[in-house]
Amino acid sequence: MTIRVRWTKALAAGAAAAVALAMAGCSGTDDAGQANQEFTYWSMWKTGEPQQKVLAEAVADFEKQHNIKIKVEWQGRNNLQKLVPALNTNNVPDLVDGSYVKLYPAVVATEQALGLADAYAADVDGKPAGEHIPAKYLADVDIKTADGQPWMLPYQIQSETIWFNAAKNPELKANPPKTWNEFIAALDRLKAAGQTPLAADGDIAGYNSSWFVTLLLRNSGPGALMRLASDKTGAAWDDPAVADAARKVEQLVKGGYLIKGYNASKFPAQQQKWANNEAALMYMGSWLPTESAAYAAPGFEYASFSFPKTGTHASERADFTGFAVPKKAANAQLAQQFAAFFLSKKYQDKWGAEAKVIPIRADASIAAQMAGIKADLDAAGAYHLQNDGVAFPGYNEKTFWAKTDELFLGKITAAQFTTQMKQAQIDYWKAQS
Amino acid sequence: MARPAPDVMTRPATATSGPAVTDTPTRGSAAGRRQSPADQRRRLLIPFVGPALILYTVLFVIPILAAVVISLHRWAGSGPMTWAGLDNYTTLVEDELFLQSLGNTLKLLFVVGGAIFVLSFALTLVLRDMAGRKIVRSVLFFPHLVNALVYGVLAGFVFNPDGLANAILRPLGVSTPQWLAQDNLFVLIMITMTWMTTGYYTTILMAGVDRIPPYFYEDAALAGANAWQRLRHVILPLTWDVFGVCAVLWTITSVKIFEIVWIFGGSSGNGIPPTKTWTAAVYTYATAFSGDSVPAFGAATASAILSLVLVTALVVLLRRVMRRDVIEF
Repeated sequence: MTIRVRWTKALAAGAAAAVALAMAGCSGTDDAGQANQEFTYWSMWKTGEPQQKVLAEAVADFEKQHNIKIKVEWQGRNNLQKLVPALNTNNVPDLVDGSYVKLYPAVVATEQALGLADAYAADVDGKPAGEHIPAKYLADVDIKTADGQPWMLPYQIQSETIWFNAAKNPELKANPPKTWNEFIAALDRLKAAGQTPLAADGDIAGYNSSWFVTLLLRNSGPGALMRLASDKTGAAWDDPAVADAARKVEQLVKGGYLIKGYNASKFPAQQQKWANNEAALMYMGSWLPTESAAYAAPGFEYASFSFPKTGTHASERADFTGFAVPKKAANAQLAQQFAAFFLSKKYQDKWGAEAKVIPIRADASIAAQMAGIKADLDAAGAYHLQNDGVAFPGYNEKTFWAKTDELFLGKITAAQFTTQMKQAQIDYWKAQS
Repeated sequence: MARPAPDVMTRPATATSGPAVTDTPTRGSAAGRRQSPADQRRRLLIPFVGPALILYTVLFVIPILAAVVISLHRWAGSGPMTWAGLDNYTTLVEDELFLQSLGNTLKLLFVVGGAIFVLSFALTLVLRDMAGRKIVRSVLFFPHLVNALVYGVLAGFVFNPDGLANAILRPLGVSTPQWLAQDNLFVLIMITMTWMTTGYYTTILMAGVDRIPPYFYEDAALAGANAWQRLRHVILPLTWDVFGVCAVLWTITSVKIFEIVWIFGGSSGNGIPPTKTWTAAVYTYATAFSGDSVPAFGAATASAILSLVLVTALVVLLRRVMRRDVIEF
């Protein structure tokens, strides 16, 4: 029928026009970007954070000095969750940043990370940027792609430690417990003195598991959890060192050292209590002083001591936070130039003194409350990653943390923990194969 | 069972007087046909339905098909995809955590759904003859307007060890219950969902009950019917279709419940909620976007597709179970 044919033709013409328009729209933006010398940066920091203020200053300085426009989006911590789907499109940022544990799944596991040899070679304060990153960190923390180039330019280190208020417990500063037995003795002393020894927000699985993880790394050294989790037969869970780490967690739970209600509260309820002197110690990341500053009791003096040793191993957690460039980035060169620029002493000093976190450069300023943890990091002979770098799909969220939760919240014993984890891990690897 | 087609479709072509079709030359049989409304309808089908159909295809059908394809692969969200066949599905069906999450979704659907309907219906009956019912209805509806996230955050204030609930209970001699312990979280979520949603369905049911003409009640009163008989023989049959719509709405809503679970146990977004409270939607999200391990988009999409199949099957089943002849009045 001619009428139908006419309609079909009109429809086809319309659709063709729409497609043509859409394509024209896509191709139109490409050239403009090149001409203006600009690049896009999706930041993990949000407007108003101290870190963002330092970065914003660096962005402004860089734009002025190099006549390059940086289109910054202060996206916050879910910037990498947005990056993963974006990597399938042509709307890819030229520069992103994040912690190792978030960057690795987003850009390395997806094989989308560009080697940053140019950034490492760029001159910063008279020497290549890469040489400002202490070599002993790079020796332990693997941030290399298959071709041997680093995929990340770190500008910050996050660690974890046992925090306390030196104004209230000066004896811990004078004589910090060094071994597990000394630590338990210190907890007993605090308890006898009427203090709650330990605070913990038991609703955060990552925090709960860090006790077992660090104890295992103390028993068997860095890489022990990775070896344990990778074992498809589950036999590694029979290792006495693993059982010992689990028993020590059980010892904390059964010993009644933990603050009442830690297993039925909502973050940051217990952290607030700790900052209000209602508990003496808290095992937490290096971000704790900045995070709890707003509600800390007057005169609170942040101090810390390293996680107690159970034997000879004494590695410190050193998580890099830094820049990465996606392979698809159109302006990768400019992005790398800025990443290196940000390692200048000026911004690293501000990162330590104003943002009060740990800058990557050994010669950068450091805030008073970070002095202890920085000294522990400098003195350490070995380093490990958060969760020992274990990031198998769903392993942490669905298998490992579910059980470390139960152990730390006192639902199961150490023996049940290792038996159940062994079976859960066998099932996990069977499902993955 | 095929339903009778609307009468316009079966009306004989000769009954109308549309303009003769001039541009169709006679092809063999009849000497020039008159155009029936059915023909006109057919001709207008493409221009009227076409745009919506294209939009629907582009925005829904194609993404769903793409999702099916993704669910047959192992994929970290970008980069290389490897073919996995039905592996993602078989893994899901064998995964205890997925089954437990699905169980939680079904608890929300049936237990919370049942509670909501009993409460809404009871409220409707109470409110029917109440003075100031419009104000009461607004008050009941209000919790539905507030974002579920607010309740999640509020839960911390109310149920923390030193929260409002324990502050009230302590003077009464109750030894502080551990409200937010992992074992209790899901029950709290179910109660919160019931409280949030009851007002919404009460409003819909009340609209249904309100349109029943008063002479039915008068007639029932004259016949000597008691309250139960009035409910059984007047109110229920005349609001049955409204019930059916509510049941479908709740089915669709309950399968998607996500944010309240995420925030209730998830430390206001600082972590992932304990696995005991996961629903199928949370399972899907955590599989793709946990942020702390390599994303498994294939498995996540498989879980989403299974949820879609589940909701479709449940809606079809519900429509079938709830089907009654609509009573015109």
